[in-house]
Amino acid sequence: MTVGGFVGFEIASRVDVYAGAPQSSSAAQFGTLGINFRARKAQDDEEWNAALTALTCAVE
Amino acid sequence: MGRPAHHTIPGVSRGVQGLDVGELRDAIRTEYTHVASDPAQGFHFHTGRPLARILGYEDAWLDGVPEESVASFAGTGNPFALGALRAGERVVDVGCGAGIDTLIAAQMVGPEGEVVGVDMTPAMLERGRASARRGGFSNVRFHEGLAESLPVADRWADVVISNGVLNLFPDKLAGLQEMARVLKPGGRLQIGDILVQRTVGDKAKRDISLWKG
Repeated sequence: MTVGGFVGFEIASRVDVYAGAPQSSSAAQFGTLGINFRARKAQDDEEWNAALTALTCAVE
Repeated sequence: MGRPAHHTIPGVSRGVQGLDVGELRDAIRTEYTHVASDPAQGFHFHTGRPLARILGYEDAWLDGVPEESVASFAGTGNPFALGALRAGERVVDVGCGAGIDTLIAAQMVGPEGEVVGVDMTPAMLERGRASARRGGFSNVRFHEGLAESLPVADRWADVVISNGVLNLFPDKLAGLQEMARVLKPGGRLQIGDILVQRTVGDKAKRDISLWKG
């Protein structure tokens, strides 16, 4: 998300949306949940670069 | 704001090696053409009004949306649970399908706002356009297109919404960068999608049947 240009990423909710569907699904095999998430586009390069710098994983 | 030339994260793939993207898109189009033409046939996901209830859609939102858009709803989340849209805002609905979220957004932003729905499945777009006409929406446009190359100008949108679509992008980073391109600085992303809690192996990533279900 951050590399894509966004800041403030937050998963707001998770729901098992596949339970009880008419056909069987591979969703359960992978522990798949429906989610809602939000983020916003960085205001400018300064905010974006700060978010990139704050990533805890290595950036090459 | 420029695109970073060298920011790549180890393990974040720019697509799936060995995946036939054309074949994947054809398979997705075929699946969602079925959802458009016969939404009650029974899929590996819920559809229509029952799905909207599972996801917490308010009846008041659905009241103004013609049934042909509601019936073919196949989302995985609820972008509006993340916050209502404001009057006058410009919105892009990426992978809009039959237009349920597009038309809910159009009601929220009102006549001073604008909503653009983009989808790659013509049968879905036909339902969305028919619903917009039937519902008398004058602030909505539907365009055929790919999420990785949205037919929308730079910095046009206040909000990008999407529902159950990002997981189908073969190159998710490219899709996110395209969403960022069309958003104004500070613009909001409100997405319903899926979270996979177990590791998906490379072989599974190339299995198109798993992408669909």
